[in-house]
Amino acid sequence: MKKAIKGNHAVSHGVRLSKVGVISAYPITPQTTIVEALSEMCAGGELDARFIKVESEHSAMAALIGAATAGVRTFTATSGNGLLLMHEVLHWTAGARLPIVMATVNRAVSGVWNIWAEQTDSLAQRDTGWIQIFCESSQELLDGVIMAYKLAEKVMLPVMIAYDAFFLSHTTEIVDIPDQEPVDRFIPPYVPPVSLSFDNPRMFGGFFATDYFYEHRYTLQLAAQEALAYYPEVCREFTRDFGRTYDLIETYRTEDAEIILVTAGAITSVSRIAVDQMQGRGVRVGLMKLRLFRPVPVDCWRKALEKATKVVVIDRNLSVGLGGIFASEIRSVLYGSAHRPPIYSVIAGLGGRDVTPEDVEGILNHVIAQDKPSDAPLFWGLKK
Amino acid sequence: MQKKFEIPRQVLVEQDLMQPGITSCQGCAAPLSMKIALKALGERTVVVFPACCFAVFVGGYPYSSLKVPIIHCPFETSAVVASGAAAALSVRGEKDTVVMVWAGDGGTFDIGMQALSGAAERNENILFVCYDNEAYMNTGIQRSSATPMGAWTTTTPEGCIKEESKKDIEQIMLAHHISYMATASAAYPDDMFKKFQKARGISGMKFIHLLSACPPGWRIDPAHTIKIMRLATQTNVFPIYEVCKRPVSADTEQITEEWQYTINVFPEKNVPVGSYFKSQGRFGLMTDEMIQSTQKRVDRKWQELVEKAG
Amino acid sequence: MAAKKRSEMAVKHEFKSYRDITPMHVSLGNMLYNKTGAWRFIKPIYEDKAPACQNACPAGNDIEGWIKLLGRQEFEKAYWHLKREEPFPAILGRVCFKFCEGACNRGVFDDGIRIQELERFVGDRFSPATPHPELPAYNGKRLAVVGSGPAGMSAAYFARLLGFAVTIFDRETLPGGILRLGIPGYRLPRQVVAAEFEGLSRMGIDLKLGTEIGKDMALATLTETFDYVFLATGAHRSIPLQLTENLSCCRIISALFLLKQVARGETVSLGKEVVVIGGGNTAIDAARTAVRLGCRATVLYRRSPTEMPAHPDEVREAEEEGVCFRFLAAPEDIALRPDETIEKLVCCEMELGPADDSGRCRPLRKEGATFDIPADTILMAVGEEADMGYLSQFIASTDPILRTHEDLSVPFDTPAAARVFAGGDMTDTPHTVVHAVATGKKAAIAMDCNRRGIAFTDIQDHIRIGNGDALSFSRYMNWAPVNPVPCNDRMVVDSSKIVYDYFIKSPGCNKMVQPADQRRFSFAPYHDTLPEEQALLETRRCLHCGRCTECDNCLIFCPDVSILDQTRETFGYAIDYDYCKGCGICFTECPRHAMTMVSEG
Ligand SMILES: Cc1cc2nc3c(=O)[nH]c(=O)nc-3n(C[C@H](O)[C@H](O)[C@H](O)COP(=O)(O)OP(=O)(O)OC[C@H]3O[C@@H](n4cnc5c(N)ncnc54)[C@H](O)[C@@H]3O)c2cc1C
Ligand code: SF4
Ligand code: SF4
Repeated sequence: MKKAIKGNHAVSHGVRLSKVGVISAYPITPQTTIVEALSEMCAGGELDARFIKVESEHSAMAALIGAATAGVRTFTATSGNGLLLMHEVLHWTAGARLPIVMATVNRAVSGVWNIWAEQTDSLAQRDTGWIQIFCESSQELLDGVIMAYKLAEKVMLPVMIAYDAFFLSHTTEIVDIPDQEPVDRFIPPYVPPVSLSFDNPRMFGGFFATDYFYEHRYTLQLAAQEALAYYPEVCREFTRDFGRTYDLIETYRTEDAEIILVTAGAITSVSRIAVDQMQGRGVRVGLMKLRLFRPVPVDCWRKALEKATKVVVIDRNLSVGLGGIFASEIRSVLYGSAHRPPIYSVIAGLGGRDVTPEDVEGILNHVIAQDKPSDAPLFWGLKK
Repeated sequence: MQKKFEIPRQVLVEQDLMQPGITSCQGCAAPLSMKIALKALGERTVVVFPACCFAVFVGGYPYSSLKVPIIHCPFETSAVVASGAAAALSVRGEKDTVVMVWAGDGGTFDIGMQALSGAAERNENILFVCYDNEAYMNTGIQRSSATPMGAWTTTTPEGCIKEESKKDIEQIMLAHHISYMATASAAYPDDMFKKFQKARGISGMKFIHLLSACPPGWRIDPAHTIKIMRLATQTNVFPIYEVCKRPVSADTEQITEEWQYTINVFPEKNVPVGSYFKSQGRFGLMTDEMIQSTQKRVDRKWQELVEKAG
Repeated sequence: MAAKKRSEMAVKHEFKSYRDITPMHVSLGNMLYNKTGAWRFIKPIYEDKAPACQNACPAGNDIEGWIKLLGRQEFEKAYWHLKREEPFPAILGRVCFKFCEGACNRGVFDDGIRIQELERFVGDRFSPATPHPELPAYNGKRLAVVGSGPAGMSAAYFARLLGFAVTIFDRETLPGGILRLGIPGYRLPRQVVAAEFEGLSRMGIDLKLGTEIGKDMALATLTETFDYVFLATGAHRSIPLQLTENLSCCRIISALFLLKQVARGETVSLGKEVVVIGGGNTAIDAARTAVRLGCRATVLYRRSPTEMPAHPDEVREAEEEGVCFRFLAAPEDIALRPDETIEKLVCCEMELGPADDSGRCRPLRKEGATFDIPADTILMAVGEEADMGYLSQFIASTDPILRTHEDLSVPFDTPAAARVFAGGDMTDTPHTVVHAVATGKKAAIAMDCNRRGIAFTDIQDHIRIGNGDALSFSRYMNWAPVNPVPCNDRMVVDSSKIVYDYFIKSPGCNKMVQPADQRRFSFAPYHDTLPEEQALLETRRCLHCGRCTECDNCLIFCPDVSILDQTRETFGYAIDYDYCKGCGICFTECPRHAMTMVSEG
């Protein structure tokens, strides 16, 4: 069924179709409409879930420790400061191998208030062990939630679906909402590898002394690798069942591209327009959209960029004192590659500042004019 | 005649859901309290542990001394982790279960307070138990907001003692309009057993505050754990009572008192508080004047309690 | 022990590789592998001890033991258990000065156990003539007992249980010594004493009455014909009153003599006003007897009530019956009527001076403060001493007290008499029935040690009860105690060791005593045995000091789940030393100190 819905509601439908058992959430703009819709779905009987309306994001995530350990499919959503407040619990949930799925509507964080788009909040969680998937469209969000459960429950790691505040969360698009039955087939009810039972009572977690902890951390790394290996299979099955494809990355007109633009999230859409226009003018420019960011699909990134002469990474995020986080990650992945194109790091659109196709074209033109990248990132559109 | 234990003998001798081998200090009251609690709650109990001594000595991975499921969780999250577990059990259709948080005073009075307050306000169907040894013992005896005035800790600077009063956790919990609130002590195992049994049968948020002597932290002989906890009650320093919600009758316009207070253990003789404080090394720096003023405070609080109990 | 040791159920997980980490980090086993018992340096054990009451009873009566059996309504067991240490419960249950009750740990809590009432209840439940369950075959040695008072009876009883063939000699035709001839029948009915003798004779003990040693038979005859001789001829010679000059002519009667007359059923006439001089039991009994004979009796005592040797209960009962007491007064002179009968006693007021050797304050005359008491008869009760004339051929001393060796053997000059022992009032021991019984027990054990060729003093410390002189006959015999746990009789559990918090206050039972206005005219017993229901209720008040009652306190309070229930096997509990950390909570919380902490290894 096709329907014009907002990005946040696409997430809500994904959760509904995934038959989540326990939801817990704390309101924060711009996440609120996800949980409002879920709350209505629960009340209306479309979704048979317990909704715990906690007193903080910290508790929102912690509630799911209990629920997921007890063997139930769980969901929460948050944004910006809320995500940062969860930080400790994110480490815990990943380390405890709980297949929680969370929508994070990327919102700026700093020492002043801002409620608009920036990805620094999610990226600050990249070492927690969570799988991170960046989305660009409402359809991708809905589908992404369903796929996330399949992936999470297979490898027993939590998954974070990240997308830009307002640009996506509050924008209405036509979305194909699948029927329940194929979704049920795609993700059968969750059966944890060890169930919390009273007949065979077990202790979950606890104190790991030095003789176990190191190995425990290693198994997390292994699980992340497994996620990377399993992701393509999830995609294949999804394509088979629903006809849509969501690879580890998405490339656009990169076949003959010399310059490859790298983006994640909503900036991708405007970049596509810019690429089309530049290609129309004969500039051999292509686009690589990051989807799975943790675990890092190293080979995939290297392969996509293997022919580029210049790589331009636009980051709507900032690692203060370094620069764009995606740029830094791409740089470190390409370092071990045979082909090491120069990387142009661009910061743009922090705190919801609009990034237009013209901005992207401007960035590309700027890069074309350069012989080699400067060490410092380019702050595009900064009011000087 | 000796006072008779009302814990059924069968339960007493057979249903041990806690096994030995635990690494708690000699004479620690916490495992003793757990033993009794689990006897009352039975096997269909999930125990949630935040960071606390118990979380450590119950068994390091991959061993557990409890024959019930356990969920470990971050320090500050126990009440909400339990809420999540309770929600999940109800989604699973598991009936007749109880999710019990077993938290120390730090995980209750201090860092655990926010999640606890949230869970209490939502009237989550959990049992929150605070085993209160009145300081951060696991990390080496640092003050908490549960440390009583007059006690020495490693973070009350040299030669000094805590000057602030202990947080009144019972009143805080009652201010949340929870379903059941009780204090208990392993020195009165029967009473404790009954309270856990009662709590099991009540839906909504239950809070049980246990006094839990810690021999190294209190600077007491491990053999005197129970004796000193009994003294805490006999001196009214730690009164043993419970507060239930009065059923509100729909047909009366009358606004009745919301709470039904019951004092479960009345001191048998008038023991001055000094005998409690003087029995423990941690109170060694308390002056007689401080003890006198504490006596007044304790008397006043007891009087208030007696009045509430009617 | 449990069928399988818990430590054998330990599940230890071998961790070799990261692959061994379980999904969701769930536990694989328990902590039973971790034997925390290794932390321990002192360990708790179950060890019964001597209750304060038993420690206080000169005979070492295992009160707690039979109270426990009585509480379980195992009446016969209780009876025989009692008689292991104290053979005459029907007698001592009536006339003993109940040293035990004064020491009872319940006393400081609310109200001591009415031990004597219970003892009497048990004693009256069965006839002493019931066949003795622990009667052994004869050991080939013969014992002659001289004197059938409580000391002699006790020696005979215990010696018979040790296998001796016993013959008791007494100069009287009525056996029992003071029990029969001194203590009035309203306190100790004649048939109670008679029944005990029936019991002794059922045990095979011979009784030769009307045979006075030293007159009808020489002591040497006994030492020659018997292997052992036990002397217990008591103290029957009244100490004469030292008054001023001309009084020897006057009719002043020995109180004991009066009591004997009444006991034999002889008629006596005392007149109306009787004054008894003295403050001991003889004085009180004589005064009360006088009251029953229709007289007005006044007891005159030199010191104050607190110094009076008579038992306070007896004094109170005497007062209730109308006996008057004049304290701090001593006789000075007697005024006679022209017919030489007594008219009145002239007394002098006394005051208490500094303490004398006995620790009591010496009474001093108050010069000039005299007063008169009308008197028709004066009864003298200032003490009795032993008459040891029949010993003169063996012993030179004129000491009115026979000073024995530690094992109660008599230091005779002739070696022929090496196996002569003595006890009771004639020896250096307090003049009470239970002390007499205690000496009988001690002498029996000492004679048996002698027979076996072992030193009594070596044995003594092993069978001593608590910190007093009482000896445990059961332990000498190796008889099993009520609780099948080690019993350290030497350690006394006094009130400082009792955790009173575990007990509920309840008053002791009321004694079945007739009101004074009924009993004062009659020689019939006025104090009844407790009804069964009352007695059983009273047993429930016993704290069972130092003796495990399987109350479950240790089981409940062990923080390390290391007390195992063994009810279905032998004794209540076993301690799992694999895990017991030795914290000592069980020991501290044992309400009755029936556990001990002992150092490891
Ligand atoms: C009036 C009175 C009341 C008392 N009341 C109590 C009381 O209530 N409670 C209590 O505990 N104590 C009481 N006593 C003390 C108690 O009775 C004695 O301590 C106890 O009886 C001593 O026992 P015994 O066996 O040594 O001597 P006795 O009971 O005096 O027995 C000695 C026996 O030896 C016999 N005998 C003496 N010489 C010879 C001889 N040469 N040949 C053969 N036989 C001989 C005597 O006839 C007598 O039967 C009382 C004493 C008196 C006098
Ligand atoms: S003999 Fe006397 S002291 Fe001993 S138990 Fe009996 S009444 Fe008590
Ligand atoms: S309470 Fe019982 S055992 Fe203890 S002293 Fe009294 S009678 Fe003896």
